[in-house]
Amino acid sequence: MELPVQQFRTKAEQAYLDMFETARAGLPGARDPFVAALRDKAIEAYGRLGLPHRRIEAWKYTDLRGLLSDAHPLIRATGLPIDAADVKEALGGPLAMLPVFRLFLVEGELRTDLSDVAGLKSAGVEIVSLAVALEKPAAWLKQALGAINPRADDSVVALNTALMTGGVALRVAEGVTLDQPIHVIHLDGTGEPASIFTRSLVLAEPGSALTLIESFAGLGLRGLQRNAVTELRLGAKAAIDHIKIEREGGDAVHLGAALVEIGPDARYNAFQFSTGAALVRSQTFARFSGAGSSLDVSGALLLRGRQHCDTTLLVEHAVPRCTSRELFKAVLDGEARGIFQGKIIVVPDAQKTDGKQMAQALLLSETAEFDSKPELEIFADDVVCGHGSTSGRLDEDLLFYLEARGIPEDQARALLIQAFIAEALERIEHEDLREALSASSAEWLGVRPE
Amino acid sequence: MLEIKNLHVNVDGREILKGLDLSLPAGEVHAIMGPNGSGKSTLAYVLAGKNDYEVTAGSITWNGENLLAMEPSERAAAGVFLAFQYPMEIPGVATMTFLRAAVNAVRKARGEAELSTPDLLKLVRAKAKLLKIDPDMLKRPLNVGFSGGEKKRNEILQMALLEPSLCVLDETDSGLDIDALRIVAEGVNALRSKDRSMLVITHYQRLLNYIVPDRVHVLSDGRVARSGGPELALELEQSGYAEFGGKAA
Repeated sequence: MELPVQQFRTKAEQAYLDMFETARAGLPGARDPFVAALRDKAIEAYGRLGLPHRRIEAWKYTDLRGLLSDAHPLIRATGLPIDAADVKEALGGPLAMLPVFRLFLVEGELRTDLSDVAGLKSAGVEIVSLAVALEKPAAWLKQALGAINPRADDSVVALNTALMTGGVALRVAEGVTLDQPIHVIHLDGTGEPASIFTRSLVLAEPGSALTLIESFAGLGLRGLQRNAVTELRLGAKAAIDHIKIEREGGDAVHLGAALVEIGPDARYNAFQFSTGAALVRSQTFARFSGAGSSLDVSGALLLRGRQHCDTTLLVEHAVPRCTSRELFKAVLDGEARGIFQGKIIVVPDAQKTDGKQMAQALLLSETAEFDSKPELEIFADDVVCGHGSTSGRLDEDLLFYLEARGIPEDQARALLIQAFIAEALERIEHEDLREALSASSAEWLGVRPE
Repeated sequence: MLEIKNLHVNVDGREILKGLDLSLPAGEVHAIMGPNGSGKSTLAYVLAGKNDYEVTAGSITWNGENLLAMEPSERAAAGVFLAFQYPMEIPGVATMTFLRAAVNAVRKARGEAELSTPDLLKLVRAKAKLLKIDPDMLKRPLNVGFSGGEKKRNEILQMALLEPSLCVLDETDSGLDIDALRIVAEGVNALRSKDRSMLVITHYQRLLNYIVPDRVHVLSDGRVARSGGPELALELEQSGYAEFGGKAA
């Protein structure tokens, strides 16, 4: 006799299943067979996998199942008014003032009243609200959604597919180079704890180039649980600079994923700047599907208090002659915990692969912790791959040199910390954006920017 | 006026300075010589206030103030400047950023107005020219990729910008060729004045041909073993440090 194995579900795990049951009929695309099937398949996968826990290697340092005591209710969009002052407060001055094409995702939906849709269209970008597109998905959307470097084994992405309420789908036309960045500003809302699930798609047609900034900031919602997935497909010779700025509220949970597919002779440069949320899991799954391409995924993480920030990368060299670079710098104070997991897979045919990875942590307190785990699975023999990691405190001799020149101790420490971060920030090509993040770092340090 | 009285200093639990006495009046240049291990660099670091140098007895007063009670940055504000024997490289901190922070920190502490960036740049360029420092080097991170001679000239540039009243030069001549030595010496001599005192710490007499001291002190085993006029340095060049417990290198 076979006893059915009753799967034990935590409160949060069950809550997501209940959330889907309740919301299902009202989610965008509920009446479209393709979308409904996509969501059903996703929730079924989630149901099988449950929330990730520490016995899964990729979640070793972030036991999400243990950390999430409850799932907050799916947010209800109220169309709340947002003015320039709100934006400046949420993003900080320098970021708010960057000349960009702005798109606002508020309470999980694209706010066309606040966004520069017309500007983008005339610049050669096709843009649709995901919520609208899901009601009657076009062929190109069906070929992209859930099909770009898909992760069947990731239940956080599966939850996003099941519960996504809105987002933005962008297609940059062939050969188009945008003269200013696209800034997708993800704001939460106000009031009681809530979950927000957004999904975005970025298709860079052959020869196109864009800078995409995704900022995640708070308007004051207590207890935000955010799940944001962005799928990016780069055609031949396309280039995307993708900068993600996480400055969520101090009690927020931020689960983010980028699913990236890179065509031939293309370039994907990503940068993660994290300072805000209590718990962050930022994943990048990137796959080279065309030879001769390059990828740079870097970041600067500024953590204090009891923040927990887990950055996990998986880069697959599935074709020859591609280059990947990763540089992550974490500054950790208080009892903060920084995690960097970098997995590189090189398949047997991926000759002339060049992959390098470096993770560095500056520990400002005795109780801060940094976990660094490189994983290299290399099956080709004509490759160059390397990885390194360092962690340590501020150099006492350097501090003394600065102080002996009259620079007071606090200022000397700040100078050295900013120097540490600067090396990572140099990976950002857009100068004004680099300056803005430099100013944000100074602000985090409590230093008056010059 | 610098007054060091009965200074005892431990480093890593070992006593290095064993009752050092020294008086340096305003406007004078004194040379400190001595064999390896006599405590020359220890004296320099203690004056600048480095951690790990434990003063177990004695006093250091600078213009009547207790120097030992002051933090390193406070000592700089009070006019103390140490030209390091091995200047530090600081990747990620541009030389100009560093100079601006240092100059304005000291000016602020002295109650003077901070210099605007254009004014500072003009000043820095002028002083750099005298020391034959290529202005392009100022855009680079501090001392990164600089040769030994360039680093030493950079120390003297900082000295010229910060206008200290007590200059401690820790083996500034080490690693310099004749031309660099001449440029550095000219830079130092240009800063000599009746309001400025200098301690020139050196192993070799050669530097003192260019920077002629008012007095020479020989350190041995943590104390001043002998003091004299500039001719003492020439005597030492003849006889070596054997008399002072120095071993041949």
